[in-house]
Amino acid sequence: MVHEVHELGLGEHTSYAAGRLTVGEESVLDLLRDPAFADVRLGCTSPGDRVRIVGVLDAVQPCSKGPGGGGVFPGLLGPALPVGRGSTHVLRGAAVLVAGYLPRAQEAVIDMSGPAAPLSPLAATHNLVVEFAKADEATWEDVDVALRRGLVRVAAHLAEAALETEPDAVEQLDEPGATANGKPRVGVILNLQTQGKFKDVFVYGRSLSGGLPTVISPCELDDGAVVSGQYGHPSLKNPTYLHQTHPVVAALRASDELELAALVLCPEPVDQANKELISAHAARLCKGLGLDAAIATKEGGGNADADVTLKLDLLEDEGITAIGILAEMAGRDGTGPPLVVVPSHATAMVSTGNYDERMTLPACERTLGRERIALLDQPSTDEIELPVAAIYCAQSTLGWGRLTCAEPVA
Amino acid sequence: MSIAKRVGAPRIVPTRGIPYPTGDPSLGPEQERAWRRELLERALHAVMTSVSEPTVFDGDQGQ
Amino acid sequence: MRIVHYVNQFFAGIGGEDSAGMGPELRDGAIGPGRRLATLLGDEHEIIATAICGDDYAAGHAEFAAQLVAQARERGAEMIVAGPAFTSGRYGMACARIAAAATEAGMPALASMHPDNAGLGEAAGAPLVQSGLIARFMKDSLDRFAAAARKIAAGEELTAQDGRIGPVARINRLAQRNAAERAVALVLTRLGGDRDAGEIPLPDFDSVTPAAPIADAAEAFLALVTEGGFVPAGNPDRLESARATKWVRHSLEGLDSAEAGSFESVHGGFSTQWANADPNRILPLDVAREMEREGAIGRLYGEYLGTTGNGTTVADARRFGMEWAAELRQAKIQAVILTAT
Repeated sequence: MVHEVHELGLGEHTSYAAGRLTVGEESVLDLLRDPAFADVRLGCTSPGDRVRIVGVLDAVQPCSKGPGGGGVFPGLLGPALPVGRGSTHVLRGAAVLVAGYLPRAQEAVIDMSGPAAPLSPLAATHNLVVEFAKADEATWEDVDVALRRGLVRVAAHLAEAALETEPDAVEQLDEPGATANGKPRVGVILNLQTQGKFKDVFVYGRSLSGGLPTVISPCELDDGAVVSGQYGHPSLKNPTYLHQTHPVVAALRASDELELAALVLCPEPVDQANKELISAHAARLCKGLGLDAAIATKEGGGNADADVTLKLDLLEDEGITAIGILAEMAGRDGTGPPLVVVPSHATAMVSTGNYDERMTLPACERTLGRERIALLDQPSTDEIELPVAAIYCAQSTLGWGRLTCAEPVA
Repeated sequence: MSIAKRVGAPRIVPTRGIPYPTGDPSLGPEQERAWRRELLERALHAVMTSVSEPTVFDGDQGQ
Repeated sequence: MRIVHYVNQFFAGIGGEDSAGMGPELRDGAIGPGRRLATLLGDEHEIIATAICGDDYAAGHAEFAAQLVAQARERGAEMIVAGPAFTSGRYGMACARIAAAATEAGMPALASMHPDNAGLGEAAGAPLVQSGLIARFMKDSLDRFAAAARKIAAGEELTAQDGRIGPVARINRLAQRNAAERAVALVLTRLGGDRDAGEIPLPDFDSVTPAAPIADAAEAFLALVTEGGFVPAGNPDRLESARATKWVRHSLEGLDSAEAGSFESVHGGFSTQWANADPNRILPLDVAREMEREGAIGRLYGEYLGTTGNGTTVADARRFGMEWAAELRQAKIQAVILTAT
């Protein structure tokens, strides 16, 4: 159940009508309240504003299956059980963001207008931005947990406002079956970072660290089964918002010629032996699922290239056509080798652009999140020069963006 | 290791983890030191061996 | 176009190795192979001057390229071409650097050399066109050089068909469709039988000739080096955690082990907790010393060399490797153990 949002503002009560989402300040601050915070503030910004959000940590699409959430964000808000069935209401065009400081978080920038705006999915959404300050007695881990819990609560709360409203569109999303309808069966392999504190991703509220690959229904993504807790590499980041609106899943659903057959979740171990095990196991799993092809995505920097390229090689060995979506790190002038770990015989890869290429972002009027860009030691409102690497999701390895180094196709 | 082979390093000794190439925190201190010794022995064997292309020395060469 | 053509001391007819130390000069008109090049370029283009420099001078003075480009510009040049350098390494590097400097200064540029020329990696994205192997193939090389120069002058991109060689810069642009859609399209293309379609070319790393084995480790003089970001505690040289632009060296004299608290890792590509708890996990000094005492290793070098291998550019990594090799060979080291992360 899709409800379009065209306007966003703060107000006394949360409500949604005729495309306008009003955020009830008190109710939302209440949902976010936690001993880990000394202070929480709310800000709003819409596409086209001369606003820069600095230090983006995560973004979530508002969704709900019923009062109190109705089961969305299993393990964090709803009970830890598989989701993805029945009706889900989403507020399309809106997002709840958190911006500020967390350890091991690399400064991420979103410009709501200007040359960097087309590079971030969250520059096209009406954003409720949560800013916070840590309480003295709290640890950063406490803050991280409180933010994540608060974020999904607010996301569900906002969507709840639309539960009784006639949707603008109803999308029927079928679960993949073992149907033999003649179309090639394509799987999506979602590699998730599992490096512990501030570098982990949650499925049903728990980490995949130490586990083996597993299969869930792609429909579970729409209900928030995968929630991000990692804050590194801004341009490569997969925020919760993009897990919920997974671009590769969406592209396969839209395809008439291919069938979305499976979603495979894999942890990304740091050590080589485990990378090899996970990748080999994933390839066998895909074979067992009767896949004709698989598209692998990644999370993280150069180390995570191996998690994709190993799978591409092993999938091809199993006779499964394998495609990888990868960002390039070709150096400032673009002539360095694009990938840190290249496949040994697989070759089918899609490029999401060069991490190191630099851009100049114009001065802006207002900022949310952090007032100074620590990386440059400049006020956030200044004109700044940054590598593409700092722009939130610019090189989305879930395939959201159009940034690429590929030559134009004739 | 696949990077090492791909870029053409002629003699390669595989290790157990990026954050601890000459270690293994899952072992007790004595065993870890013994593993470190094993790795260096393999490295010495490698530099005493003639190679013509990237070659992995993982202890299966019966030194 | 008004073109300046770069040649080395040999092709300028000045001299051989004896003149390799000569500094940069600009002379009027076309010289040496430039004369035939000028004819092939046709009437719309003129070689207004020839830039010359000795190969040794060029190799030893990094600024020579920018200086020559500035002089050429003052003389009225609108474009710069260099070579053909065939497989002459120093000449090829000089040509590549001239092309890079010209591009940096906003001028169209082109260099000609054989694909095996070491200069291939020095052009920083400026176009390079293939020449023959040796000067015997000057005629064909010039034909191709001129054709490519005409294309560059016309503002066109060089393709593999024109003989383009060397790394092509990867430049960001916005595609029509997003990466997910392109991935789905690529699935269809590949399932359809195309075995080559893809957006990321795989790099070609040059092959290294393996060094001959040493006779006996028990007699060997051995050095430990690492790219694990291994530094004395406090990182006095401020070695970078990523994108390292330098390497460091420190004494291991009198040390029997890499003690926690004395050394640390500043590598930004992995969690350094295990390395900092026991730095021997990055630089295996404790065991190396033990083996030295036992006589399994002849002697351990008194220093280690280190850098951070996290997003290091290939150009920098290659340079570090060459500098380490030079240092260690000077010190008469026979074998090196590199711990990689």
